[in-house]
Amino acid sequence: MRPVTLQRLLLQCGILALILFAVVVVALKLGAVPVSLYGLGRDLISVLLRQTSQLSSDYGMIVIEIRLPRILLAIVVGASLSVAGTSFQALLRNPLADPYVLGVSMGAALGAVLALIAEPHLALPVWLAALFTPLGAFLGAAATIAAVYLLGRREGQIDSATLLLAGIISSSFLSAIIMFLLTTLTGRDFRGMAFWLMGDLSSPLQSSLRWVLGIGFLVATGAIYTTAADLNLLLAGEKEAMHLGVDVRRVRLVVYIAASILTGLAVSVSGAIGYVGLLVPHVMRLLFGSDHRTLLPTAAFGGAIAVVIADTLARTVVAPSELPVGAMTALVGAPLFIYLLRRRMA
Amino acid sequence: MRMFFDSTLRAVAAAALVLLFSDAAICASQAVAPPLPPPPAYRQVTDEIGRTIRVPRSIHRIVSLAPNLTETIYALGLQDRLVGDTDYCDFPPDARQKAKVGGAVNPSLEAIASLHPDLVLVTKNLNRLETVNALDSLGIPSYATDPHTVEAIIASTERLADLLGAPESGTALGKDMERRIAAIKDRVAALPLRSVLFVVWTEPLISIGKDTFIADALQHAGAVSVIDSSQNWPHINLEEVVRLQPEFLVFAESHPDNAAHTTDTLADLPGWRILDAVKHHRFAVISDAVNRPAPRIASAIEELARQLHPEAFAETPQSDKDNASPLPPGSTQPSTSPLHLARDFSVAQECACAQ
Repeated sequence: MRPVTLQRLLLQCGILALILFAVVVVALKLGAVPVSLYGLGRDLISVLLRQTSQLSSDYGMIVIEIRLPRILLAIVVGASLSVAGTSFQALLRNPLADPYVLGVSMGAALGAVLALIAEPHLALPVWLAALFTPLGAFLGAAATIAAVYLLGRREGQIDSATLLLAGIISSSFLSAIIMFLLTTLTGRDFRGMAFWLMGDLSSPLQSSLRWVLGIGFLVATGAIYTTAADLNLLLAGEKEAMHLGVDVRRVRLVVYIAASILTGLAVSVSGAIGYVGLLVPHVMRLLFGSDHRTLLPTAAFGGAIAVVIADTLARTVVAPSELPVGAMTALVGAPLFIYLLRRRMA
Repeated sequence: MRMFFDSTLRAVAAAALVLLFSDAAICASQAVAPPLPPPPAYRQVTDEIGRTIRVPRSIHRIVSLAPNLTETIYALGLQDRLVGDTDYCDFPPDARQKAKVGGAVNPSLEAIASLHPDLVLVTKNLNRLETVNALDSLGIPSYATDPHTVEAIIASTERLADLLGAPESGTALGKDMERRIAAIKDRVAALPLRSVLFVVWTEPLISIGKDTFIADALQHAGAVSVIDSSQNWPHINLEEVVRLQPEFLVFAESHPDNAAHTTDTLADLPGWRILDAVKHHRFAVISDAVNRPAPRIASAIEELARQLHPEAFAETPQSDKDNASPLPPGSTQPSTSPLHLARDFSVAQECACAQ
């Protein structure tokens, strides 16, 4: 393992940040309304200076009001899923683990759907009402990962194949419950089935939810990053890590809760988007090595880049109609995954 | 021991033989005794998706697999012949009392067969071809409708009335719908078309395509959908809607409370709040009758025209006073439904009585 210096970390993250910036600029340009980069830059600056009256046109307003928030949402969702995937892969010592494969995304989706059903009957205060769906999604994610973890253990050790089977079975079971709920209790206030099962970023968020999402992402990612060195040792095995002085129980608890928060937040605002948490960490590991001190931040950038590209395609390929973003990630992700799998075997 | 078994077996066999012969004798006597009934009169018809089907000349037992067809049967005054319908058939309220055969997409074939229908009615945009094929293999004739415009709904209603042996009801109902739609056209024809976004769903945003009967109904109400998609239920990019800036957002709701909740939410939602229609609270909320290609579409068109072009209905003549009050969306109780909504049925019932 190459030694990690702050310099190397900053260099890697800097390159990825530049790529992300370029992708965001292209994403801002593409869409139903054509915009010039000059006008865009001027509008962004006037928004940052809070001089919204000086916006160049209605079209600038569209970009600021709809396109930019959606791109920011794609960045946070992509980074969350990718960091959660990296953490699950380290903790379960299984390169095929990710929130979607393990059923955690579906658990979060079911929690969110249940919260949406229950909310009108509870007369909650306003601040809690905004938090209620993400809270339900977090609880659903946490319960699912606990269940899958217990089902995936054999004689006290995590068994790779059993764990993945447990995840896949849980996922199909939970999606069946979601389908049942949405077809029997359907109403206009619910997001569509495709949203929860395929992932979709086209619905704008309430302002309060944006804050919850942003702060939750930073806190949970920070918490996981504090365990980065321990995760490296855990790769050798739980017992070995314990002998090396790692408080395995504490690390496991922190990472499970933080990864469940990340998955729950992402799913509650975007539904279940597959392949990001699985593939991006793989690609980053190939490019930058498997040291979690660099893997976690680079995976966050990589996930953001991947989802921004996928969502830009989802909203432009069949414009003015839209595709679910999960369809785009699966279309690109599944063949890429098979390629990586075969390359590794060769 | 062995002897005992043999004798027992023999006795059982003898008893079985006796039973068998007596059964055969009964069957034979039944087959011979009454003269054969004349073969039922069938006729060949072609339905709206081009299938040639054989249906009895007189149809007494109908199963409807779509809410719009159930409404049409009631509007024709033929509800006594309706022996079964779907879980979603809720209008008129009496339709809820009919035997249920499940949903429109996944009806129970066993439930349909047990009702011994002469004819099953299906509609292409809701039911599945698999259901029709399965009914065929059971020897149950089915007739499919497929209207894409308001005119086609009227024509389809008249054809259905003809098929069911009530052509007078069909003609009267069709004439009434034509007259009412023409009356709206007279009022709004000279006015500029309102550009509207028909909102099927807000999260994600689903609207209607240009080939749907709803798009055609909008035209009759003096409106035009801003969405020009060849998909029937397109998932639309919100940016595109902001670029097109529709003058009105149109919602179809069974409960007015739902619509009020939706429109309140949109006013604070990023993206939606920069729509001119949302800023100026230009919403048209009409009954969900507009979602069903049935005779009530005429009422839905009236409602929409009144909300989009109030100036055209401002000076209402005395004779039409009952029509002047805006229709409460989703009023499904016959006692509270406005006159012109109830008229669909009174006309049909008059015809039924006249027969």
